[in-house]
Amino acid sequence: MNLDVLASCFATASCAVTQVSTGLIVGMLLFLVASGLSLIFGVLGVINFAHGAFYMLGAYFAFLCFEQTGSFLAALVAGAAGAGIIGVLFERFFMSKVYGRDLLMQLLVCYAAILIFDDLVKILFGAEYKLMGMPESFATAPVEIAGGFIPGYYIFMLGMSLGIGLLLWLGINRTRLGKVIRALAINPQMVGALGINTTLLYAGVFGLGCMLAGTAGALAAPVRSLTPGMGLSVLIESFIVTVIGGMGSIPGALAAALLIGLTRAFGAIGFPLFVDGLMFALMGLVLVLRPSGLFGARAT
Amino acid sequence: MRAGLMRDLLVAMLGLLLLLALPMVFPQPSLRDFLIYVIAYGLLAMSLNLLVGLTGLVSFGHAAYFASGAYVFGLLMQSGAVSIPLAMLAAVGGTALLALVIGAICVRLKEIYFSFITLAFQMFIHSIILTWVDLTGGDQGLRGGIPRPPFLGIDLGEAHTLYAFAAVIFVLCLLVMRQVWQSPFGYTLRMIRDNPARANFLGVNVVRMKLGIFVLAGAMASMAGIIMALFVSGAFPEFGFWTTSGEAIFMIMLGGTQVFLGPVAGAFLLQLLNHYVTIYTHHHGLVLGVVILLIVLGLRRGVADFAAAWLAERRATVPPAPATPEPVKTKAAG
Amino acid sequence: MLQIEHLCKSFGGVAATRDVSLGFPAGSLTAIIGPNGAGKTTFFNLVSGHLRPDSGRVVFEGRDVVGLSSLEIARRGMARAFQVASLFPSLTAREAMIAAVTAHQRRSWSLLRRFPLDGSRAKAEELLELLGLAGKADVMSSSLSHGDQKLLDIGLALAMEPKVLLLDEPTAGMGPDERWRMIEKVHHLWQAKRLTMIFIEHDMDIVFKYAQVVQVLKYGAVLAQGTPEEIRRNQEVIDAYLGTDHHLALAEEA
Repeated sequence: MNLDVLASCFATASCAVTQVSTGLIVGMLLFLVASGLSLIFGVLGVINFAHGAFYMLGAYFAFLCFEQTGSFLAALVAGAAGAGIIGVLFERFFMSKVYGRDLLMQLLVCYAAILIFDDLVKILFGAEYKLMGMPESFATAPVEIAGGFIPGYYIFMLGMSLGIGLLLWLGINRTRLGKVIRALAINPQMVGALGINTTLLYAGVFGLGCMLAGTAGALAAPVRSLTPGMGLSVLIESFIVTVIGGMGSIPGALAAALLIGLTRAFGAIGFPLFVDGLMFALMGLVLVLRPSGLFGARAT
Repeated sequence: MRAGLMRDLLVAMLGLLLLLALPMVFPQPSLRDFLIYVIAYGLLAMSLNLLVGLTGLVSFGHAAYFASGAYVFGLLMQSGAVSIPLAMLAAVGGTALLALVIGAICVRLKEIYFSFITLAFQMFIHSIILTWVDLTGGDQGLRGGIPRPPFLGIDLGEAHTLYAFAAVIFVLCLLVMRQVWQSPFGYTLRMIRDNPARANFLGVNVVRMKLGIFVLAGAMASMAGIIMALFVSGAFPEFGFWTTSGEAIFMIMLGGTQVFLGPVAGAFLLQLLNHYVTIYTHHHGLVLGVVILLIVLGLRRGVADFAAAWLAERRATVPPAPATPEPVKTKAAG
Repeated sequence: MLQIEHLCKSFGGVAATRDVSLGFPAGSLTAIIGPNGAGKTTFFNLVSGHLRPDSGRVVFEGRDVVGLSSLEIARRGMARAFQVASLFPSLTAREAMIAAVTAHQRRSWSLLRRFPLDGSRAKAEELLELLGLAGKADVMSSSLSHGDQKLLDIGLALAMEPKVLLLDEPTAGMGPDERWRMIEKVHHLWQAKRLTMIFIEHDMDIVFKYAQVVQVLKYGAVLAQGTPEEIRRNQEVIDAYLGTDHHLALAEEA
């Protein structure tokens, strides 16, 4: 516990700027993962416990592609598309078989998927930590704001994830396809009766959710070390984000993700041992006082 | 009713005798070790099934209480201040308290949220174990071994005695759980599993009942953790890792949720599988994952449930079949 | 026994119940009829505490029970059965009845004794006998026939030893013969238990044969009330509701 350091960080602009920027990128990555989780739950009514694995897959696909091509843009696309495609396959061949069955079975399918993906990554890439390294195009001098330095890549990440979030929100709320997806969440029979292929739509939504996780993984690859099982802590944190923000709500996910990101960034210098505890305390508080989350549907 | 209790006691005695006799007939230490694993994980799975099979609460964080039992017990023994029975009592009591706090938040939630949040709390416990290095030894686990001073003339430092002790505790816990299954409390839990809204309307306090069984299941899981800690003479963060919860869920699925001893059978099958898989390959997760998918998507239910359904079907075809069943709608809305 | 005063409820501007005032004396058998959407089930939900009225009073044994939870109201002695039987699929009829009786006796927490408790069992057997389910007591609830499921649903309500019993369409989804058997059982229950019973029913023959009093709802308001004879002759009711096919003939006959 070192609250003096925390207080002095708040007092100096440079430290505050650095921590805020760290908090923002942690938060935005969580937002991408959590909005995918939330989207899948909102439309399909299942919780994808294997969601963290798709974050990991995205990171490794990006890593592989970057190694081969050296293009970060290609790596980003590879991470997103790879996770999305595997997400669709996973939904079609495994997850869709347990819709409407015991929750126990859904849990087990996800559990099996995590075990398999983690082990496959271990076989293909090795168990040790991997570093992708910063793409050259971002190896510029960091931007200085009020004495604090923000790496150019951070600004790119922020912009990217904000853009994706906005696109997602617009797509769901302003397009015809979005309308159909929202209808699917409420009354799948009705959507089916209109001659729309709901099976395809389910797979698509699941894939889109996984793609969001994969994009987050690809974006994180240059700044985080890669390891099999890296998805788990992200999964738990995005759980917390969806609980606080409210399941199924994208604005809620954004607000909660930023809250968690900033809590982590400032907690890390003030009370590193209690950061997790604080996150869980926040979640517990929300569950007790407002079980539906800040923006969401009821959980009880 | 009394007959039911007598029969259970008799079965328990026979089971205990069998457990005690096995290592005498087959004296290899590896068999004894294998059986202790089955006992510890079987107990964990049985305690989880109080939630899953009996009450319909699919907890994905049950290993938290397994770990809590092991760590509290191990730390108390390392302090050297208490005897084994006292440390066991304290570990069970402490875990029950932990389950009470976590349960009070979790049991109010709808089923899928419940799985979600129990998993999250378990990862919280796990992260405490990892970060509080001074107390828990972090990722190395409790270091220096757990002392096993003799009590009441029982010396658990002796491998045979430890095994017998574990077997007795195991059978006693099973008897307690059997009593829960067969009590009015247990039948009320079945009502909650089938139709909580209706149970509530019949005067059952659903939330408090769920909390009660959550605490009881946590306490039973801590017993399993204690046995494990005694056996390996230590406690490790993996005890509280999500994979341990996942394995427990797989065990009860494998053994079946509706047959009382099903989870023990599941624990036995999984330990057997683990045993052979680790001999032949390093890719334990891959093999286990594929096996789980095959059973979940192929067999579509637990081995014991499968067998029970098959038996029931056979029995049903002998006398004239009962009237065609109609689907029951469980909506309580009028 | 049960007095409803000026009960109102609307859902987003649509009035489902409009200023309904009705009285149900102790030991009476009342039928509630009305075309679809007349607000019959809403009325039950308001009375039994599943919904909270916007205004009005529900006076049960001299006390206003508006604002109490459905459970508290049930514990005071007003139970209901549901339009779609709400059961415990994996319990047998006997187990479900015993467990319901145990819950009512507040012995659900009993951990040290075995199920079933003697006291609960006797009471449950008595109810199963009364309902004519004794022969099927060991059948899984989910495997019972539709009619038996509805009976068991009523039985679960009876386990709470109600003074007032609300039955939401006890004969819903049944063939003609089955309907009559069902309503005879319900009538028998009413006599045996000396209940105050209120039931929603669509079959006019049944209503006119068994009900002491008939209440007619339309668009959430009381259209008419009286004995079956009076209702049969009531021109408003005939126009609004009975004014078709053989009911008209029935009315003319009378």
